[in-house]
Amino acid sequence: MNKRYLSLIGMLILLVTGIRAQTTSDLRLNELLPLNVDNYEDDFGIRSAWIEIFNTSYSTVDIGGCFLTNDIKEPTKYRIPKGDVLTKIKPRQHVLFWADNKPVHGTFHVNFTLSESNFVALFASDGKTLIDSIRFPEPVADVSYGRLTDGGKKWASLDRTTPNSTNTIVEPETENNKLLEKDPIGIVMSVTAMSVVFIALALLFLIFKIIGKNAIVINHKRAVRAAVKQEKYNKPPIMASGQESGEICAAIVFAIDDYLKDEHDIENTILTITKVARTYSPWSSKIYNLRQFPR
Amino acid sequence: MNESLSFLTENLGEFFKYTGIANVTFGHIVMICVGLIFITLAIVKEWEPMLLVPIGFGILIGNIPFFSGLQVGIYEEGSVLNILYSGVRNGWYPPLIFLGIGAMTDFSSLVSNPKLLLIGAAAQLGIFGAYMLSLLLGFAPNEAASIGIIGGADGPTAIFLASRLAPDILGAVAISAYSYMALVPLIQPPIMKLFTTRKERLIRMKPPRAVSQTEKILFPIVGFLLTCFIVPSGLPLLGMLFFGNLLKESGVTRRLAETARGPMIDIVTILIGVTVGASTQATTFLVSESVKIFAIGAFSFIIATAAGVLFVKVLNLFLKKGNKINPLIGNAGVSAVPDSARVSQIIGQQYDPSNHLLMHAMGPNVAGVIGSAVAAGILLGFLS
Repeated sequence: MNKRYLSLIGMLILLVTGIRAQTTSDLRLNELLPLNVDNYEDDFGIRSAWIEIFNTSYSTVDIGGCFLTNDIKEPTKYRIPKGDVLTKIKPRQHVLFWADNKPVHGTFHVNFTLSESNFVALFASDGKTLIDSIRFPEPVADVSYGRLTDGGKKWASLDRTTPNSTNTIVEPETENNKLLEKDPIGIVMSVTAMSVVFIALALLFLIFKIIGKNAIVINHKRAVRAAVKQEKYNKPPIMASGQESGEICAAIVFAIDDYLKDEHDIENTILTITKVARTYSPWSSKIYNLRQFPR
Repeated sequence: MNESLSFLTENLGEFFKYTGIANVTFGHIVMICVGLIFITLAIVKEWEPMLLVPIGFGILIGNIPFFSGLQVGIYEEGSVLNILYSGVRNGWYPPLIFLGIGAMTDFSSLVSNPKLLLIGAAAQLGIFGAYMLSLLLGFAPNEAASIGIIGGADGPTAIFLASRLAPDILGAVAISAYSYMALVPLIQPPIMKLFTTRKERLIRMKPPRAVSQTEKILFPIVGFLLTCFIVPSGLPLLGMLFFGNLLKESGVTRRLAETARGPMIDIVTILIGVTVGASTQATTFLVSESVKIFAIGAFSFIIATAAGVLFVKVLNLFLKKGNKINPLIGNAGVSAVPDSARVSQIIGQQYDPSNHLLMHAMGPNVAGVIGSAVAAGILLGFLS
């Protein structure tokens, strides 16, 4: 029972919101350009005043049958023709009407201009219900008057005209601009970055200091153990690998280098037996390189 | 006969229009002279010949005037040079060079005396000093960072960062970085002498201890994990650097290490040098910004060198008598491997011929490579 009630209520809500969404009451006058000197052109290449209407709802609304006027006493001055597919305004979209007093130019050309009065109104299809109206200030050439945000409450002269598009122009603030604004000479950035560099390398320093200390201890223990072992067999102690001093290592390296450079073959009495190395690698193996015949 | 002659003249005239002689400008001549200077310095003075010869010849290649539309220029989509240049533009070459650097670098001096790492960090001040100066001179933060990285004295890092943050000034940044790297023996000594006393220059450092194989293997692994966890944006450079070093130190991948530090780095160096040189076409390179970039680059090198030397002096205040560090190795904190370490050795020997600083200076030198890659990662993280 409860489920039935709930689903009924749900359906009712959907129905009501659906109907509500498709009503023309969601339409708003959004932007006007009363004096078009060097701005947007219509399809005939003519510059005229224009009125932008915005569909605030999330459903398509048909503006056909509604009335536009510039005289409150004459609400049905221009009836927007019905049956034109272009009068269906998609959700959150705009439509533009040319106030050029040339209705013969099409659906979107009204039979009045905005120079006659500083007023525009949109009436519902009954010709009585006022949907939206606006009284605009003295026109300035190519400066539009509109809502600061699409469908919002506040009207003002806009920085730039935005016919058929959103009034909300937010310049995307780049990382560069943000940084320049907050840190104009880069001191914060420099301090932060230097700190990170120092922290990273200081941590590496600490870790290897600990590793180094342990390595020394381990090597020392190994050396002691080796010494004890050697003593046991009464032999001279052998240093553990890694315990030789830098000087010893250098001496060994030079000795080997000299030895190799001299190529002791020149000494007649010494016979050198060099191993011919043929290192096996699957990459050089013949069996992987030869083409196998199909059987 | 007359018709044939006029046809021939017309054809020759048409051909002349396509020649470099017909299209040459004053800028091209200037840049060709710059290229010739680079080649001369490399061959006669032997200043960084591995870099200056390819770059110098690249400048010549890039500044042969031609009739546009022939698909031969470096900026013409689809040309051979353009395809090769994509390695610079997209930042592919620098990590490969870092792989080779890692495979040829011995971090033993750093592992045996890890406090030298801090000198490498201090010298990165040059990067940020230049960053601030660039901002003051009106460059955008992304450009300022690309110019600042010249102070890291690390060509591949400079190319990597500039290609990501400010590709428009990539040519100027790269040429500036490599030029100053070649000029390290001239720029650094006066600064080193200015900030040190005779007594300090005579400091003898404790010989480095022998480093075990285990420590050498641990260094690239720990170094990579630590630095990349802190600055993941430095992953391409740091990852390749430490990977290359592991190939070298593991002892079981000798062939791979040899390839990385031999043929591979040579191939990439040739490609990066020629294409960076060729990218300096007079039309894009000879602008007032390039002069500013060169000036800031010099400033960053001076700051980096001074910061390294002064940091050692400060560090010495906290060290016991036997453990003091010779401040002449402070200059090696800028990357420029191994030139800046060589400068430490040469200057040190001028005052005490038996004092060999080269091995000690290699510590901050390789630390500088890590430090500049970390700094580049930070700048990339903040500004990309």
